[in-house]
Amino acid sequence: MNKLVAWIDQRFPLTQFVKQELTEYPTPRNLSYLWNFGSLAALVLVLQVITGIFLAMHYKADAKLAFDSVEHIMRDVNYGWLIRYMHSTGASAFFIVIYIHMARTLYYGSFRKPRELMWWSGQGLLILLMATAFMGYLLPWGQMSYWGAQVITNLFRATPFIGDQVVIWLRGDFSVGDATLTRFFALHYLFPFIIIAAVGFHMVALHYVKSSNPSGINLQAKDNIPFHPYYTIKDFFGFGVFLIIYFVFVFYSPNTFIEADNYIPADPLQTPAHIVPEWYFLPFYAILRAIPDLFGGVVAMALSIIIFAVLPYLDRSKIPGGARYRPFYRLLFVVFSIDVVVLSYVGAKPPEGGLILVGQIATFMYFALFTALPAISIYEEKWLRRRGLPPEVEELITAEENQRDIREGKTQS
Amino acid sequence: MNMTLRIRLVILLLSLVSVSTNASASADVELRDIYLEVNAQNLREGFYTYNNLCRLCHNLKYIKYSNLSDVGLSKHEIDVLRGTNGVSDTLAASMPPSVANQAFGKVPPDLSLMAKARKNGTHYIYTLLTSYYEKSEAVYDNHLFQGIRMPDIFEYSVTENPKDKELIDKRVQQVALFLEWAADPKRDERKSMGVFVIAYLMVLTLLLFFLKRRIWANLQ
Repeated sequence: MNKLVAWIDQRFPLTQFVKQELTEYPTPRNLSYLWNFGSLAALVLVLQVITGIFLAMHYKADAKLAFDSVEHIMRDVNYGWLIRYMHSTGASAFFIVIYIHMARTLYYGSFRKPRELMWWSGQGLLILLMATAFMGYLLPWGQMSYWGAQVITNLFRATPFIGDQVVIWLRGDFSVGDATLTRFFALHYLFPFIIIAAVGFHMVALHYVKSSNPSGINLQAKDNIPFHPYYTIKDFFGFGVFLIIYFVFVFYSPNTFIEADNYIPADPLQTPAHIVPEWYFLPFYAILRAIPDLFGGVVAMALSIIIFAVLPYLDRSKIPGGARYRPFYRLLFVVFSIDVVVLSYVGAKPPEGGLILVGQIATFMYFALFTALPAISIYEEKWLRRRGLPPEVEELITAEENQRDIREGKTQS
Repeated sequence: MNMTLRIRLVILLLSLVSVSTNASASADVELRDIYLEVNAQNLREGFYTYNNLCRLCHNLKYIKYSNLSDVGLSKHEIDVLRGTNGVSDTLAASMPPSVANQAFGKVPPDLSLMAKARKNGTHYIYTLLTSYYEKSEAVYDNHLFQGIRMPDIFEYSVTENPKDKELIDKRVQQVALFLEWAADPKRDERKSMGVFVIAYLMVLTLLLFFLKRRIWANLQ
């Protein structure tokens, strides 16, 4: 065995890699359980890929056969119902895990320098995940699958000048049909592998800049502990807790996340009374509908996701970290979270009466919070300084500034 | 400008609540709870009620004759039922679709997934079948589904005798429970398997928790 490892080590940095990235990989010792959600996302990804491959063995991507083939999986394939419910529940679990992961990043300011590339690659991952989920949702070929795809692909009509052509190009037909189903299936199978590659990028960046931590301060070497065994066991424990909750849904309430209408086969001639996207798209859907103009709505919706990218630059405060030691930032975070919940509620309901206004106010708030962040973070810093910063934080800021000056060749004395 | 207006209209039509061509459940009718329990006898009787009444018009295209052993039919009973049909044949309506289409203006829907295809499906079926009323002289309608084309096959609306009404109520509940099984035939297997999986995970997670505590105790 040792001989084999030595043979490999001469040709491939196996031992060095394991040491550097796992057994001796330095991790802050003060991470809370909120730092479990990255590895949880990886676990869900693996579960989705495995169950998905088995589903693909029995599924038929054909508008005439798709719905029946899903029922065939549910009724005739050995444990097909388990695989299918794991996959459908897993989609929702994925978004829950990712949204908590993102909320943690926002709350603790983990997106701030030097983790911008982690933040952006994470954002790319979110968009890939949304695309994958959206295309996967068409595959059961139920009423909600069909009309959801019809409405969402129709949004691309907002593309200037070539809108109609873009929509036809996406659907492969004038309306969602067999051509759409087959291409969505192919892409739904492909995208997870692109996601895996993007996760690779995310991990390389992480292992270069290392984990953030609740204090928001980059820790000294003595405050780090090796990833293994401390965080391997903590992650495994997290897996256990997650799997219990996940399987309670899989076994006892698997249809919680499946709209009843999706058990009616797709019918292009009959629009369901109320088309709702999956719950994880609701806030964005609400933003889309808040703007009475299609082009404006689509732009606002796209912006509501892309705007996260500039966060590292919107936060102008020199105080390190996130909400923990920054009361104004914390308030912004809380208001933003409530706003997203309100948007989700509005997105789930038909836009009638007062709800339209509520949706528009919540949409305004959504963007207003981002816009206000630079001013608020600058004011907050002044306010905090007036009240006196803890000397350690003061020290950190000056150290940081000195380092930057050195880098930029502005060393004084 | 004109273009965007048109697009907006399309979007609105697609995404807003609009009057669908087919009348759907009125929101103001409260679904009634089923008080019968899920057991072999109720499922079995529910099946026979389906077989004698509903099956005149409605398929169960995902249910094979052989599946009926799950609701307590013996092999002999299944053989009698299926006649010359194979055991793997699915339950088809007695009335050919074309005839049904002529009679009702549309082919009656398959019932295999009905209990899942409506919110609270089992209760929906029960409520629907007991919501018929006489609108005017010999014209019948349904509180839950205005303009329904299906006749009041259980004759709920014209039955006066409370005893008879109670009997219909019971039979309708049995049908609803049977259709719930038809929509989700693996339910019992799923629920019994879940106990073992979750119990196993709980023990494992508890062990992992103690192991985590022990490993972390090494840190000062």
